[in-house]
Amino acid sequence: MKSNTWIALALGVGLLVALPTLTTPSLLNASIQMLIAALFACAFNVLCGQGGMLSFGHAAYFGVGTFATVHAMNAFNGEGLLPTPLMPLAGAVVGLLVGIFAGWFATKRTGTYFAMITLALAELLHALAPHLKGVFGGEAGISTMRMPAWGFSFGSSTEVYYLTLAWVLLSLGLLYLYTLTPVGRLTLGLRENTHRLRFLGYDVHRLNVTVFAISAMFAGVAGGLQALNTESANYVLLEGHVSAAVVLNSYIGGVSVFLGPALGASLMTFFGYAVSDLTRSWLLYQGILFVLVMMFMPSGLTGFFGWIRASRKAHGFTAIAPLLVAGLLAGVLLSAGTVFTVEMLQRFFSQDYRSMAALQPGAGWAPIALFGRDWLPTAVVTWAVPLGLCGVGGALVFAARRMWQALVDRAEEMQVPSNAASTAQGGAL
Amino acid sequence: MSTMQPILTLSGVHKAFGETQIIRGVDLELRAGERHALIGPNGAGKSTVFHLISGHYMPNSGRIHFDGHDIQGASPQHINRLGLARSFQITNIFPKLSVYENLRLAVMRRHGVQHTLWRFINSYPRVREETEHLLEQVRLAARRDAIAGELSYSEQRSMEIAMALASDPKVILLDEPMAGMSHEETDYAVELIKNVTQGRSLLIVEHDMDVVFSLCDRISVLVYGQVIATGTPDEIRNNQKVKEAYLGEEVAA
Repeated sequence: MKSNTWIALALGVGLLVALPTLTTPSLLNASIQMLIAALFACAFNVLCGQGGMLSFGHAAYFGVGTFATVHAMNAFNGEGLLPTPLMPLAGAVVGLLVGIFAGWFATKRTGTYFAMITLALAELLHALAPHLKGVFGGEAGISTMRMPAWGFSFGSSTEVYYLTLAWVLLSLGLLYLYTLTPVGRLTLGLRENTHRLRFLGYDVHRLNVTVFAISAMFAGVAGGLQALNTESANYVLLEGHVSAAVVLNSYIGGVSVFLGPALGASLMTFFGYAVSDLTRSWLLYQGILFVLVMMFMPSGLTGFFGWIRASRKAHGFTAIAPLLVAGLLAGVLLSAGTVFTVEMLQRFFSQDYRSMAALQPGAGWAPIALFGRDWLPTAVVTWAVPLGLCGVGGALVFAARRMWQALVDRAEEMQVPSNAASTAQGGAL
Repeated sequence: MSTMQPILTLSGVHKAFGETQIIRGVDLELRAGERHALIGPNGAGKSTVFHLISGHYMPNSGRIHFDGHDIQGASPQHINRLGLARSFQITNIFPKLSVYENLRLAVMRRHGVQHTLWRFINSYPRVREETEHLLEQVRLAARRDAIAGELSYSEQRSMEIAMALASDPKVILLDEPMAGMSHEETDYAVELIKNVTQGRSLLIVEHDMDVVFSLCDRISVLVYGQVIATGTPDEIRNNQKVKEAYLGEEVAA
């Protein structure tokens, strides 16, 4: 790795270590969630981004990790063989075992069929869980307690944060080292061309199962950390939306860069934390975000950063700065316009507003409170605001595209080989 | 240099896809140490024969005997591990990985590290040396960090040869390795193949007759799923059946 990477890494870790002194308790709780989501996404990405196997059922391995850890916590009471700090090992072992079992079946097929089998296995577990009350605790789930160990009480969020951080850093480190092992290199071969691997003498099925199991094992660690954090487990953890979230998070971050999924997962978890209290439409925004990322930057946020770096190299910073400013401004305006429209409509069509209107027939449409102002649904200005925001935002997008085209044309005229921008996409891994 | 001892024998091999008989009883003998060409008009089934030998397809009937083992219907990785490697007519590589990585994946197999999770790949100096040696051999050392999918076609063909060689096979099957190469590149590739097949047996499908006649000790002619003649280049050149069935067509065309 280059020295720049080391410096960035040291800064990042330093920031994470210092975080408890910098944030509020509620933000610290969100940070624990972000760390867990980041590890889960990176574990998923071993299979998806590196091995080229898109699993739609990774909640299963996360979930069994959580349940295994909760059971271990109850069984050992934080003493003996498995003191509290080592509890996620239970998640790792069970994740690994379930991963070997599920992986053996799922990797019998490739592509769409593989994805369908992973989905089916996860749904099977989800459907089975409420009936196995002893294992999954039924509707109520199972709860547990973090017991003191090694001189820590694990009563405060700060201690849980550091424990989570240690596990996440250790796991990410191991996952990175994994990419440097022979199996790690072969994982990329699986993604690129399993057919050729077979004719080079490799047992592709065995390799697939190995990769699947390793991915499931680290998903199990993430699940175990979740158990330590929430001191409970419920079968809703096995639901499809957990599997979907890890896919979306990884792709938003960018699956072709090692830490891309971690970035996507922590950002989306943070947005979820920040926005879900403010709006009921959080899932809609998440969906819109995902569609936009897939349409306009399919290599994710990390791919987008790579593109910025490459264009800066190709065209110079002064040339792309106005472009970035215009793009940023356009993004802000379009988001504002969209949020205004969505929130307005959501309130307008809400049950409360409807029943209020029904109670006072003939009173006309009551004003709707939004962003500290009352807006009349029938007033022109109410709809002119989002339209105006989107209009100006759209115009800026148009302008930014023209500017980009002009840059590209000029570069071509100057015969500057601008293929740096295109190779940046496949740069990592 | 070749002995009379066969290392690969096909006897009475049939292959049908549905109703269509593609291979209709092929008998073929590859002697240890020889360079043997399989020629024939388009659609004769040359690539299918390769697929049958290398385990890509399973024959309907007949026997394929390789170095003391019956390998008809065995899996590709099993056949490869017995010591038979192949290249593909349609370039078959790891397109988004570097040239070095492509060859390293091919080299690694023989070092038995395919289940190793506790050591780094860089801690195997032999793997690195062999990979670099292969890069030199096929003149791709300067392109080692290029993305394989972005190589020129002929560079990819050279890489294919290197990947087939990486497992140090006893028998190597090359499916039209020179297709798409310039004259200069073809000349180099012929020399390369001569060099790297020292002490191995080669079965090659090739359309360039100059290459076939200069490279190979023996030639088999496959027409409509049957071998109609096998012999030295001179024997084949003067074989009446071959002239009618194959060379004659080309001359007339």
